[in-house]
Amino acid sequence: MKKSSPIFILKYCIFLIAVGITGCSEKSAEEPRPPLKTDSLSSTPIEKTTPKPVVVTEKTRETYQWYCAQCHGIKGKGDGINAKFLTVPPRNHTKASYLETRTDEQFFEAIKFGGLSVGRAPCMPAWGNTLSDSTIHELVRYIRELCQCEAL
Amino acid sequence: MIIFIYLLMGGWLLCSPMLSHASLIQEKKCSECHRLSKDGNEKIGPDLFYAGNKFQASWLKQYLQNPVTIRSAGGTGDPDFLKGTQADSQRHPALSKKDAGQITQELMELILLDLPEKINHLEPLTKGQKAKIKYEFERTFSCISCHQSLNLAGKVRGGISGPSLVNAGNRLQARWVASWLKSPKTYSNKSRMPIYKMEDEARLRLTQFIATLKNENKR
Repeated sequence: MKKSSPIFILKYCIFLIAVGITGCSEKSAEEPRPPLKTDSLSSTPIEKTTPKPVVVTEKTRETYQWYCAQCHGIKGKGDGINAKFLTVPPRNHTKASYLETRTDEQFFEAIKFGGLSVGRAPCMPAWGNTLSDSTIHELVRYIRELCQCEAL
Repeated sequence: MIIFIYLLMGGWLLCSPMLSHASLIQEKKCSECHRLSKDGNEKIGPDLFYAGNKFQASWLKQYLQNPVTIRSAGGTGDPDFLKGTQADSQRHPALSKKDAGQITQELMELILLDLPEKINHLEPLTKGQKAKIKYEFERTFSCISCHQSLNLAGKVRGGISGPSLVNAGNRLQARWVASWLKSPKTYSNKSRMPIYKMEDEARLRLTQFIATLKNENKR
């Protein structure tokens, strides 16, 4: 009985790879961020410059509470009611040390096209069909307000 | 002809108080917690004005006698929804078998629109299809983040802000699931679920998967 035959090892490797690519697993959160290919993701290019300053309004906060807080929590601490059921914890929006390493464009893309689009966890869906670009820009500003931080 | 119409109207006028009296939905004051038309604000319980499109009659009849928790975090319109303190506090009252039967009958008549799309939800899924759907349910569309479902080993997995889908195959009509995924605004102007623009193929595949989620498949 030779257990570690090459075929067995090969099967095991395939299994490991399969496990790695499915599910919103921890592994995917640690994957290096792939280069951003915005053109292939949407027919409408992302506005690089916003014509007027984006302002966080009461409506922005309501939008955050209605949609985002389900996972990210009422105060954005990553402790929403779904948090403990997710394989990758939702981002804590009050944690400046991490969020200042991300640009506003990366936030925008993560919200509009989902976590996977920026190489993060697949647990967050794409909100681009639900929220307008301007609302998403406001949410980005609101997250900056929550973390009290700007991109480095 | 005009006399005939008058006779009909007279008959209707005579019958209407009797009809309304016979409506158990009114008698049981279902509208205190549920919307029975699209007008007005959403209430604490799920909308029922399309109950005949949405639910399976056998499930409704069972549920009304033995209510179970579908939204363990409470209704999305509840002010305390996001606090996670709502588990089981909003239990639906249990009805007698006779009342449950009659209310089910009345609810199944609440039809909002005709759903002609054919769904092959009774066809068993192949292993390959299951793997593909699992990928879509968990990664492409992130459904699992808010909805509980059964994984390939029959274990309950997923978030709780959306209704549990663990028994959705017994609870929901597959045609309604497909219709909801296509145009949720037909039913609700304000859902906490993202709107998806998915290919019909993926939409029907997800519908087919949701139809397989049943309590009896839980392990």
